[in-house]
Amino acid sequence: MAKEEGILLSPGRKTRSSSFSLSSSLPQNHRTFFSHTHLELLHGHCHSEESISLDTLTSSLPGRKPQIHEILRLIGPLNSPMLPLLLYGGPSTGKTISVLQTFRYLNRPFVYAGCRTCYCPRILFNSVLRQLLIREKNAGKGSSGARRCEKPSEFIDLLRISLIQVVNALRERNLKLGSEESDRGNMIYLIFDNVELLRLWDKSSTIVPLLLRLSEILKIPELGIIYISSSSPDAYYLCTGSIEPIPVYFPDYSLEDLHGIFMRNQSNPNLYSSFLSVVLKPFYRVTRRVDELSVAFHPLFEKYCDPLSDQCLVLDEAMKRRLFDNLQPHLASSLNDVFWVPSWASHQLKQEGEHRQKRFWKSIRKEASNELDFHMSMSVKYLLLSAFIAARNPATLDASLFDSSGGSNNPKRKRNLQTSLDKKDNMAEEILLKGPGSFPLERLLAIFQCITSVAESMVEDDHFENDFAIENENFQLTSDVLLQLSALCNANFLCKSGSCPLEGSTRYRCTIDEEMAVKVARSINFPLSSYLYRR
Amino acid sequence: MVRSPPPIRDSPSSPIAAVDASEVSDNNLQPFFVLHKARRKSERKSSASGRTKRNVDMPPSFPNPSVQGENEAIYERLRLEAFDLTWSKIDSAVKEVLMEINMALFEEILQWVFESFSTIKSMSPSEIMMPYPVATGATCKRIPTAMVLTKNIEFVDDLLTFQDLKGYMQSNGCHATYLSALDLSIKHGIGICLKSLCRQLGLEDSDAVDVPLIASWYCEPENYHKPIVVIIDGMERCNGAVLADFIKLLSEWVMKIPIIFIMGVTTTSDAPRKLLPSTVLHNLQPFMFTMESPRRRMDSLIEAVLLRSCSRFFIGHKVAVFLRNHFIKHDGTITSFLKVLKIACVKHFTGEPLSFFCSDMLPEDCEAFLSAKSESLTEDLQSYAFDLQSCQSEKPAGSNNLAQGLLELKRLQNSWTAVVLCLFEVGKLSKIQLLDIFCEAIDPSLCNERDVGQQLLSPLTPSHKVDAKTFSVKGSLIPQVIQKVRELPSESLCHLLSQWSLHVEEMIEIGEQVRDLHSKINLPQNGHISTGKPVDSIDRPLASSVMGESTPSLNDEVAILLVCMVRNFLVPIESVPFHEIVCFKDVAALKSFLIGDPRGVMQDDLLKSDGYLQSTSCGRRESDLSSSTHDTAILYNLAQEHDDLINLHDWYQSFKIKILIPRTKSKRKTQHLRSSPASKKGKFTSLENEATTQARFCRAVTELQITGLVRMPSKRRPDFLQRISFGL
Repeated sequence: MAKEEGILLSPGRKTRSSSFSLSSSLPQNHRTFFSHTHLELLHGHCHSEESISLDTLTSSLPGRKPQIHEILRLIGPLNSPMLPLLLYGGPSTGKTISVLQTFRYLNRPFVYAGCRTCYCPRILFNSVLRQLLIREKNAGKGSSGARRCEKPSEFIDLLRISLIQVVNALRERNLKLGSEESDRGNMIYLIFDNVELLRLWDKSSTIVPLLLRLSEILKIPELGIIYISSSSPDAYYLCTGSIEPIPVYFPDYSLEDLHGIFMRNQSNPNLYSSFLSVVLKPFYRVTRRVDELSVAFHPLFEKYCDPLSDQCLVLDEAMKRRLFDNLQPHLASSLNDVFWVPSWASHQLKQEGEHRQKRFWKSIRKEASNELDFHMSMSVKYLLLSAFIAARNPATLDASLFDSSGGSNNPKRKRNLQTSLDKKDNMAEEILLKGPGSFPLERLLAIFQCITSVAESMVEDDHFENDFAIENENFQLTSDVLLQLSALCNANFLCKSGSCPLEGSTRYRCTIDEEMAVKVARSINFPLSSYLYRR
Repeated sequence: MVRSPPPIRDSPSSPIAAVDASEVSDNNLQPFFVLHKARRKSERKSSASGRTKRNVDMPPSFPNPSVQGENEAIYERLRLEAFDLTWSKIDSAVKEVLMEINMALFEEILQWVFESFSTIKSMSPSEIMMPYPVATGATCKRIPTAMVLTKNIEFVDDLLTFQDLKGYMQSNGCHATYLSALDLSIKHGIGICLKSLCRQLGLEDSDAVDVPLIASWYCEPENYHKPIVVIIDGMERCNGAVLADFIKLLSEWVMKIPIIFIMGVTTTSDAPRKLLPSTVLHNLQPFMFTMESPRRRMDSLIEAVLLRSCSRFFIGHKVAVFLRNHFIKHDGTITSFLKVLKIACVKHFTGEPLSFFCSDMLPEDCEAFLSAKSESLTEDLQSYAFDLQSCQSEKPAGSNNLAQGLLELKRLQNSWTAVVLCLFEVGKLSKIQLLDIFCEAIDPSLCNERDVGQQLLSPLTPSHKVDAKTFSVKGSLIPQVIQKVRELPSESLCHLLSQWSLHVEEMIEIGEQVRDLHSKINLPQNGHISTGKPVDSIDRPLASSVMGESTPSLNDEVAILLVCMVRNFLVPIESVPFHEIVCFKDVAALKSFLIGDPRGVMQDDLLKSDGYLQSTSCGRRESDLSSSTHDTAILYNLAQEHDDLINLHDWYQSFKIKILIPRTKSKRKTQHLRSSPASKKGKFTSLENEATTQARFCRAVTELQITGLVRMPSKRRPDFLQRISFGL
């Protein structure tokens, strides 16, 4: 077992430069990849984890038994060449873990490259090559600098060289060790994960065909390639025009599978099973992804267990009933919650006492529903509202809404407004269907001036505000307003849509929902509803 | 928080010396000038020495350097020193206060970081170094994320807070990195984020950075067993796609490298949901933290800077109201508040000849020093001091002494501060802002309305409740506060009194009264009320039953005390003699500094371009347009005659006439002089003229378009331009 000492990289990568060089026929920059001191890189991988039996393999992955058998069949027995595989299926259906566990069972050397971690071609190449480090023979014969593989052609060259070296090394070792250690074979496998991301890299022009045709290009029988993708094989047909990889489909988990998955490693299987019987069905209708479900289940289970003093006790029917009643109100809300941010303070309060916590929650909820819980200055609020109005109303109605006097108590104007309203009824409906419209800066500023002047006159009439709050000159159109506009853009309340090429000016779009706008309007006593067109 | 650049934008190149200094700086605040301004030769010298000119009241080139000139220079230096001292005090006080406010949050976050660090499974280095994901147990890879709600839509204040947080984390055993929202932009992509991450972690710089590199770095023994905190200052400003990628990427590694996010969120906790796809949201395990709201920060700042005597620099009522309005209506940031304050400070110390007394009043035993200094003042300044408006209107009996006046001012101000703080203690209970109380307490008209308190002294009856309400409608907070005192339960009344006794330490007689009341309230409870919690809960029923009888009288007594304090000690600074020396009142100057009005100024400048350009027609009537005026200005002036829509052809014709008139006149003259003009040549030149006129017209229109004053013709109406005018 002397071979197993060479655990990957653990002595540190710093000594990398004391390296070897390949045969002198190689171009200079190709040497970099062989300048690693680690001898048994590949072979170290599998040794850090113990290999597992077929039974543990299938039982650790509930519901994936047929797929695992399919993979095992396609990979074939020791030393048999294989065609490239494409494992596909929705996200979180156990593709990656199935392959990794399968190789753990097979105990064969492989190289894993996830396209998420390796976020650009160069890093992907380097990651693959780094894992294919080769036994060094001529140590100390000069090393090259830290130049790296940049182009696909270089990658292919280097990959071929290193693969051959690895395969040779494997074969050599098998010969040396004789029959009892030869169970690892002389095949080497490349696993590419998240292949669907490749299509986004460079508009799939070069890198996807390159990777998908890797086995064809390299023509090394000892190389097996496995692609893992969350998009179906159809997505890659156009790119290749070569032998298609054999697809293996990973379907979504069924109810029983999910039950099996969630029952693994539970400290109190009885309790958790009764919890799942309550929760799993309604959630199954929403999502079948294990990650989403586990995120949703975690807080629910805590709530479920709340009434229990001792979590180890055996549940009777009455108890189950009680727990269910306790959970019921939370269930519906958490089905709709996509993203719930608990506050850390409340989390700590929970540890202190149940009663206080409830009061705390109530206060939080109440506050959240009525008030804006962050600071915006008045003119930002007005600006936001005018953006909202500009996005909701058709531009042609602005003139009838805001006349120069700004007063809203002119009966004649109201009648005019009414008639124009009737006329444009259809238009308003259409706009509602279209969603928020875009508007140029000038229109926004014009509406801003109108509504601020109206607001000021209102304040003067009513005398509601403090004495010193009444200062007419406060809403001038200043550079501040433009700064505030950019602040709103920063907060994602407004977005700049692509500038209209004919007009040459940027257009804006307001992205807040009506609830928020009403909140803002309420905080400054602004009659928003009288400025919006609706049915 | 962010130190604003010195607000005097002194530009030696600014050529308009004819306008006074404040106007120059006003103009310089504008983002750009439309026109270049001509220099006036004679003024160059004086503009080069612009700084001294502004600081000294005398002209800089004093004809013959006499003793007076020397004195002037000395006082000048004194004022500068006083400014430096005052501002550095204010600055350090501000920093201290902000740090204090943030510290509680920082500690909370640190505690959370270590708690979530313990939940992330730490693996052995050999496992971490494996290039493939961990196979066992990790059904969902979630990164612990602190969503720090900054409570303010403007983010300037918080940039430094997050920097401070980074430092705090680093000094408390974390690897901390700071990514600004600019790092996470679509332009740079995810590579830059990782690179910045690596650089801040102290990895050697390499051109291709990936997560395994960080993993191997983390496995080194000196880096191991420490959480890696990634702080992102403004999550809303990040590019959603890049941030999503970044989170996905790191979440693949979260079981190996203990990465913990801290994200600033300026709006609501909903923001991530709008920005990120739900698949990414599942990779975050969020917890919410909230910063102190800007209003609370502002209150503590006001308390530290303007109330506690860290400096002897005060602001007048109008300035305070302006500050308050600016904060509420325009720019609710600490940064802008500090900017205003600094401008006020600079203006005060440069404009007020005696302002150097501000720093002299700081030490406790400044009496002798003050009197010595006031004795040694020059005649001019002496007479200036006693000619101050406050001194004349309200001549204090027998105090013709400047030093005594200043000491009196200091004493009054101290007690004023104490009373305001007492009022604020009550205001806290009914969520009244200190800024509001401050503005009201500093109002000089308060002095004349002393009898307001008289009404409130009478015992509480329903009719008086109505009274209080009418007050509140009128907007005076102090009666509200007094009313509040009457309604307080005994428990908080006791707490209030103990707070008061801290504030009024220096005022001996009031302090005694407060202590008396406090001891009255404390008696039945053996002094346990503010300290022992368990005892408190036991005693409460007893206490309330005892208090049930005595509460009205006690509450009233406290209210009476407060009214007394308000009546006797709440003397607004602007009604104290010599207050001009320490108090800044010039709102107009502040306004001109703060509220830039680029469009307005631009349009103004265009209309009055002759004045700037020093054209030959300077001597003419103001409104008259001449051909020598700049083209853009001519066009703009002509546009004033049109409606919102300008017919291009008409505009061009009138422009042509305007610029051709004088030329034809002069031509005629030359024609008269010369006997034979070549008609052919004349035709040619007229053609040439036409072309240049058109070119000039085009350029001028383009300039107007660039400055945003007109909009180009639309497809529907190709002959018309639209005039855009706001604010004029």
